[in-house]
Amino acid sequence: MKRITFFMSIAALLAMITLLPFSAVQADGHCEFAEDSIKIGGLVPLSAPGAVFGGVAMSWTANRAADDINADCGVEIDGVNYQVEIVIGDSEGSPERGQAVVERFILEDEVHAVTGVYHSAVGLATMGMLDENGIPTVFSEPWNDNVSANGIMEYDGRPPRNADGVDYVFRVSPASSMVGGVVVDWLIDLGVGNVVIIAENTDYGQPAAADESARFEAAGATVTQINVELGTEDFVPILSRVQASAETPDVIRILVTGETSFNLTQQMAELGIAPTEDTICVTNQFAFQSEQYWENVPDGNYCAFNRVGIIPSLFSDTAVELNAAYFEEFEDIVPSFAMATYDAVWILADAIERAGTYSDGEAIVAAIETTDLDLSQGRYYFEFGNHNPDLPEGTPAFMWHQWPDPVVTMMQYFEQGQSSLEAAVIFPEVYQTHGTGYIVPGTSP
Amino acid sequence: MVIEDTLFVLWLMLAGPLWAAVGLFVLPFVNHGRSEKDQLPTTSLKVGGVIGGFALGPVGVGLFYFEPTLIRRTTLTLGVVLTVFVSAQVLARVVEPDFPSVLWLLLAGPLWAALAGYFIPRHYRELEADDQDVLTTAALGGFAIGPLIFGLMWKTTPKVNRDWIITLGALGAWQIYALFAIQNPTNPCVALPFSATYLTQQTANGIVIGCIYSLMAVGLTLIYSVQGVVSFAHGQLYMVGGYFSFYFLLHAGNVLSNLTNTEVTVNPIWGIPVAAIIVFLMGAVFERIFLKPMHEGLIERVSEYAILITFGFGFFLEYTTLAIAGPFPQKTSRFIEIRRFTLDRAFIGDEFFFGPIHIIGDRAFAMVIGILLIFALLYFLQRTWTGRALRATSQDRQAAAVTGINPTNMNTLSFALGSMLAAMSGAALIPIFNWVPWVGAEMVGRSYVIVVLGGLGSVPGALAGGIIVGIVEALGAGCHPDPSRGAAYKEAFALVIFALVLLLKPTGLFGREPN
Repeated sequence: MKRITFFMSIAALLAMITLLPFSAVQADGHCEFAEDSIKIGGLVPLSAPGAVFGGVAMSWTANRAADDINADCGVEIDGVNYQVEIVIGDSEGSPERGQAVVERFILEDEVHAVTGVYHSAVGLATMGMLDENGIPTVFSEPWNDNVSANGIMEYDGRPPRNADGVDYVFRVSPASSMVGGVVVDWLIDLGVGNVVIIAENTDYGQPAAADESARFEAAGATVTQINVELGTEDFVPILSRVQASAETPDVIRILVTGETSFNLTQQMAELGIAPTEDTICVTNQFAFQSEQYWENVPDGNYCAFNRVGIIPSLFSDTAVELNAAYFEEFEDIVPSFAMATYDAVWILADAIERAGTYSDGEAIVAAIETTDLDLSQGRYYFEFGNHNPDLPEGTPAFMWHQWPDPVVTMMQYFEQGQSSLEAAVIFPEVYQTHGTGYIVPGTSP
Repeated sequence: MVIEDTLFVLWLMLAGPLWAAVGLFVLPFVNHGRSEKDQLPTTSLKVGGVIGGFALGPVGVGLFYFEPTLIRRTTLTLGVVLTVFVSAQVLARVVEPDFPSVLWLLLAGPLWAALAGYFIPRHYRELEADDQDVLTTAALGGFAIGPLIFGLMWKTTPKVNRDWIITLGALGAWQIYALFAIQNPTNPCVALPFSATYLTQQTANGIVIGCIYSLMAVGLTLIYSVQGVVSFAHGQLYMVGGYFSFYFLLHAGNVLSNLTNTEVTVNPIWGIPVAAIIVFLMGAVFERIFLKPMHEGLIERVSEYAILITFGFGFFLEYTTLAIAGPFPQKTSRFIEIRRFTLDRAFIGDEFFFGPIHIIGDRAFAMVIGILLIFALLYFLQRTWTGRALRATSQDRQAAAVTGINPTNMNTLSFALGSMLAAMSGAALIPIFNWVPWVGAEMVGRSYVIVVLGGLGSVPGALAGGIIVGIVEALGAGCHPDPSRGAAYKEAFALVIFALVLLLKPTGLFGREPN
């Protein structure tokens, strides 16, 4: 027995020695790669209390982008092809943990660029470190306005990142204000006057709620804000309080992410608070994952939700291909944050190739600023950066190093178990699929 | 009087004045056939009959008739609750907002509670008087009646009992509610006529979820009482219980669908015994392999080992589940197709109304399952030989061994049973909450609070603790003056009660005094 094991070990060793040179310089039949690879750190939440399924989706699309790039012979610098390697780190949705992972990325993994980040708190906590260490970064999901605004404005006592002439941080997800603006415009169009906002107690929920409250109040609506902790399971006492209000709310807006939003939406429907004829339910963008939504919120029919990213009927070829692969893996439609992560890896790879270096962060940043690429979510470019540093008056600071064109739409289910591909797009009017701005519960468009 | 709905009529039929009158006449018959020395005071019986019939109808009358020992405490509690509510409503309307809080802080309140809690028990010990429950009584007394508690307890050092605690505690609660009502008269928990409905709704929410919390906590307390081990894997056993149920229902549904050519959804109630059996075996195997050596003297640092090994087991379960089931939230179909039970609004006159009260259907069902399982466990522990053997082992392992009980088997049984209860709790809750591999973390934290609050090792304590935590969380979230903060601090309210109980009664509400 021992002899067999010994011979098997020798055989395995010989096989490894024989194959090693090929694996170092040759990924497949048609491309020759350098021994070094370009390492891109993917900072995503893979453990609680982070939004784990968001992290899994982002990690999968980041790797998928690397595979696609490598299948196309990787990144070419001075005639040499480099493979893209994704190094995944688990932020757990926690700022401290996110910082520790970034430290590991920089000191141990020696990554050349970073992407990912789901939670705003993690983005806000790590953006300074990434900038100080000269790591070109394209965030793909944190929404807090200050993630990009801190490029040119002070935030929380921290000077603008661009004070030294280079800002290494970019964002391809929308800023909260870009999403909030669409939701509020839609609801004000519908004539709501009494709004209840249920917001998570995080760096995403609180600023988003403050921004939307200000917009509602400016339009003459009254707002009641209720803060909840992410991870709460039982919302019934809180919802009973909403139900007990003297005036029935016109809308309940949920600014809570992940499975917590599913619990909240379902309990709201079970208690008969919303969606009803009197009260509009506006839930989190996770509702777009229709398989999961219906499994967890079976009573959530007629809830509206904001969708970030291009609507499925307008998917580009890249998006269709990505969606098909994602569906094969997860049996659901690819979410926008996963698409954004896929695109972010491509943006970084493209910028490195154009910069002609993977180690000179400053050159890579300059290349990212002049990005012009058509990817799964549309055409990517950055309107404001050191290539165009002067924001016109009235342009919010968060437009700095911000992809300006993320499509934000309002969608609504009108049949139980409906796929999000069949859900109605209700706002903005230009994207409406069923000719209506809101489907009243119990009716069909 | 205008009666617009069925609720009031329902109350009149099931409770109310008619049943109060029945109670008044029926309860004195309790004394028939009793010897003179065993007879209960007729006045107490009549008062009990009136209050029991008025509040609980035939249930109250029947309960007091067959268990007359319950009359005193139940009527006291009912009377206190009604008095607190009514008098606080009155006070809120006649007293200026700022004045009474200052007055209360001077005449009673936390400072006097601290002083009384510090000095009076010492005084009892100096005089070698019986000081059981004196700390709790003194602190509650200082809180409720300020320096007067010194007058009551210093000179005569009376022997205190639970009635003292209930009365002084109720008086303190009354003061808090009254002050709250005065300070915040528009709060939904205070403003009439709405507050009656609202408080009932929130209390009902608390009881429903509290019973569900209890089921999980009971398992934890059972393991501790027999083994002296706090299982840090309890939350994960709860989680895997839910997943075992989910996958069983999924596969059973698929198999039946293939056989019948129609879509079949299996009711989640069938997942509960399946999860119970699997996790029972899992718990037994784990105990035999990893905890048994601890009791056999093979492990040097027993306490640390128990923490680490159960913690590790929990970690293993969580991450294995994450690897197998993935991070996506899962949920089974409903227990019952009724989305919610609603008691409609009833008007009495033009202004006063009661209702509507809503209870989510599946939660009510899970609550019933929880209560049935806890009673089944109590029956098992009290009435069966094995249950008694478990209790005997928990009280004195060596004495139990002398009587022929095998403590090693009892250890295994307790861990397996405790794990099974956690799993059943998970299987009962997967139709209600979204299930993810880390779902146990929040629940288990609450379970630790419940078992310590109720008294480590006490099954009735876990039940009471669960209900208290449920009610406190619901009322805290529902009554906090700032709705936004109320929701965010939900878990913190129970921790405040927990801290107070630890401070005043370290053994918990139903805990045994250490030998």
